Amino acid sequence: MATTHVAPASVDDDPDAHPNREKQYVIIALILAALTVVEVLTYTSPQLFLGEDGPVIIPALLLLMAIKFWMVVGFFMHLRFDKKMLTVVFYSGLALAVAAYLAVLTIFRFWGNDQVVQPPGIPVTSE
Amino acid sequence: MASTETPIAENPEAEPTTIPASAEFIPAPDPDVVHGGHGFATNTGISNTKLGMWLFLASECLLFGGLITTFLLYKLPAPGDGPAPQELYDIPFTSISSFVLLMSSLTMVLAVSAIERGDKQRFHTWIVGTALLGCVFIAGQAYEFQLFVSEGMGYTSSRASSAFYTLTGFHGVHVTLGIVMLVSLLLLSFRGHINRHKAETVEVVGLYWHFVDVVWILIFAIVYLIP
Repeated sequence: MATTHVAPASVDDDPDAHPNREKQYVIIALILAALTVVEVLTYTSPQLFLGEDGPVIIPALLLLMAIKFWMVVGFFMHLRFDKKMLTVVFYSGLALAVAAYLAVLTIFRFWGNDQVVQPPGIPVTSE
Repeated sequence: MASTETPIAENPEAEPTTIPASAEFIPAPDPDVVHGGHGFATNTGISNTKLGMWLFLASECLLFGGLITTFLLYKLPAPGDGPAPQELYDIPFTSISSFVLLMSSLTMVLAVSAIERGDKQRFHTWIVGTALLGCVFIAGQAYEFQLFVSEGMGYTSSRASSAFYTLTGFHGVHVTLGIVMLVSLLLLSFRGHINRHKAETVEVVGLYWHFVDVVWILIFAIVYLIP
């Protein structure tokens, strides 16, 4: 009788190993397109967001941007379905970047009216 | 005298001393080959290629974060430095470019899905579609740059223009590299080097492409739309 030494079969041999998410991808793309339309509306119809200088436009744009970012990374880049370690790796880099550059913006007084726009070493002209 | 030796057939833990000539061998899986996303022969359970790409993308956050921050700090040109980028933006045109890049992410993820199922015909279609959409985006960016230069905003006109061109130009270079990767995938596939067992190669290129899209999502909102 023939003895068969079989290595563990790869799940690649299983056609169901990769769930078909194409319908989900199309829905996500449609949502992303709709969010982009809302973003453009802040430019073309700022009155819908309490005016161009109103308090709503910037938070709304930042929120829409964050949602789009999360959807692409989570669904198209499969971060929601992959190992948690990849989420930690990517969001650690992102958090480091955001923290570092928020610190830079704060050092240059980006948030106030007395913004320092010259690099260090160049005298700041005050109005 | 009765023998105390247990026959191999009754003792499954016993090591066979000889391998019959008729034994059929199936090679062990290559650790670099995708196992359907269910586990890899590495300590982390993630393929080294994929982990390396995610680490690279995390480091790219720092690169683009620096460029966006520089633009935010320098976006207002000094008096007499020529037009500010904000005065020249054509938001409807850039919105269409953004939409094109967003849709290229959809075609890319559909390409990955097709190759995972072994459907090479659809894989080729979606990869060509993604590359073409990327080319349309680059053409739009070149047109925009040419328009801005003709309006008097050169690369060295002001620190605002330098920051703008450096940020969007770096992104454009990333998209161009992505197109080169997509064309390479297509050529590899035509030569028979890409199949469903090598779907991870396509997935890793897809990760890069989606990241380029994600960066544009940030640039479009922060650079173009926020007043």
